[in-house]
Amino acid sequence: MVQINFAKREINCKLVYYGPGLSGKTTNLEVVHKKAPASKKGELTSIATEGDRTLFFDYMPLELGKVGGMNTKFQLYTVPGQVYYNATRKLVLQGADGVVFVADSQPDKMDENIESFQNLEENLREQGLQPETIPMVLQWNKRDLPNVCDVSELDKKLNKYNSPTFEAVAVTGEGVFPTLKKLAQMVLEKLNKEYGLNPDKKGEAGKKETAAAPAAKPEPKPEPKPEPKPERRPEPKPEPVAERRAEPKPERRAEPKPERREPAPLPSGNRKPQGYDIGSGALPPPPKKGGGKGLMIVMLLILVVAGAFIGGGYTGKLEQAVPALQKFYDDKLAPTLGGGSQSAGGE
Amino acid sequence: MGASETDRKLRKARLIFYEDDVERINKALENYQNLSKSRCNMLIDVEGHPVTQVGSTEGINLETIAALVAASFAATKEVAKILGEAEFSSLTHQGKHESIQLSLVGDRTILATIFDSEETTIGMVMFYTKELVEKLAGIFAEIGNRKDMKQGVFEPMEDMESVIDDLFGDV
Repeated sequence: MVQINFAKREINCKLVYYGPGLSGKTTNLEVVHKKAPASKKGELTSIATEGDRTLFFDYMPLELGKVGGMNTKFQLYTVPGQVYYNATRKLVLQGADGVVFVADSQPDKMDENIESFQNLEENLREQGLQPETIPMVLQWNKRDLPNVCDVSELDKKLNKYNSPTFEAVAVTGEGVFPTLKKLAQMVLEKLNKEYGLNPDKKGEAGKKETAAAPAAKPEPKPEPKPEPKPERRPEPKPEPVAERRAEPKPERRAEPKPERREPAPLPSGNRKPQGYDIGSGALPPPPKKGGGKGLMIVMLLILVVAGAFIGGGYTGKLEQAVPALQKFYDDKLAPTLGGGSQSAGGE
Repeated sequence: MGASETDRKLRKARLIFYEDDVERINKALENYQNLSKSRCNMLIDVEGHPVTQVGSTEGINLETIAALVAASFAATKEVAKILGEAEFSSLTHQGKHESIQLSLVGDRTILATIFDSEETTIGMVMFYTKELVEKLAGIFAEIGNRKDMKQGVFEPMEDMESVIDDLFGDV
């Protein structure tokens, strides 16, 4: 896997050359090592048998320079091609960012190519990597030999994922760099897609974080307390309630809402029921009705008493105010209070 | 199953080290180096990329040693599995003069301690390693849990082909 190191301003990627035994994987690496300028390459290390067959892997670091402000380094590995070394092959594949599959173009090697490709698929999956999505390039090697398979045949039998392909003669260096170049491009493109600061996505990073964390927030969030009343009402309330409350609501809602909505965003899941209570209309109306009527009566009484006093004030006698008060009570309050007025009038 | 799922998740997650992280790691490494009297200490991710190092690295090809250490550790892990162990958490190669001890830190990183047998002993190194590994594992857990920086790690590359042409220009 790519390692991004800000302390060193480095991006490290791992590329693996895969393929059947003797297909030319190590030769590819040797050519890269031979031709790359000294300033850009590290040592070529091989863990090989005495007969120069790769036992574990060949390895060389290749530093390509600055990409997107970061120094980009590729660690190139080859796997041992022989079937016997599958255990070590898997280890090398671990954490690969891209794969070059080096196929031997000779017809009698086709079965080995196919077997190796299948083995690659298996091992990738075992390492948690997907052959369908990992950057992959196929190289048809040994094109200089007299009797080689047609490219279309190789493509048909091996290029399962429609990967880019290159013809090569690794021993002469032909096709080696185009193959590596293409893979490097694919790896960097993938990296750029996943980690680059795409201008279109500039604002997305932050958005994603906030949107992802509080999954249940969306409901309380868009309702910034008392201001957007019109939007809120239609949501939680059934039609009749909305009608009823049309006049008195504005003031009352403005008060209780802020209190209830403020805590809601935190444990949004638990707050939902409360939201329904507010909007259901079943519970809230009784307290509002009772409170409203009581308040009206008190206010009317104050007005009446004040009026009576003022009326009486003209004559300077309190007694004159009493009949006026009685009259107002009978005329105005009796119809409103119903039975209450009678008892009051009876007094 | 649980272990392999975790492993898969970890493999998917890419390692991103910020300067602050590396500073903290280096501080812990320096302290450990003084206590254990080791020559140099390197942190390497399990894929073989060097993360950071402290001490004298003269004559050591860091990239190559990182690749070999990671491979060696990976191979040892397979041996452990065959023997019924989940893993060997440490591995020592002892030479006449120079020795190296490898210790797994967290799930994704290996500590490689190179020490001179005349300056210290393997016992001393192992003793202090345990404490350091715990400390570093904590730091790596924090790094691993961090969800930020999905985007914007580096500047966008609009024309990838020309970028690659430049890179390979003189290769």
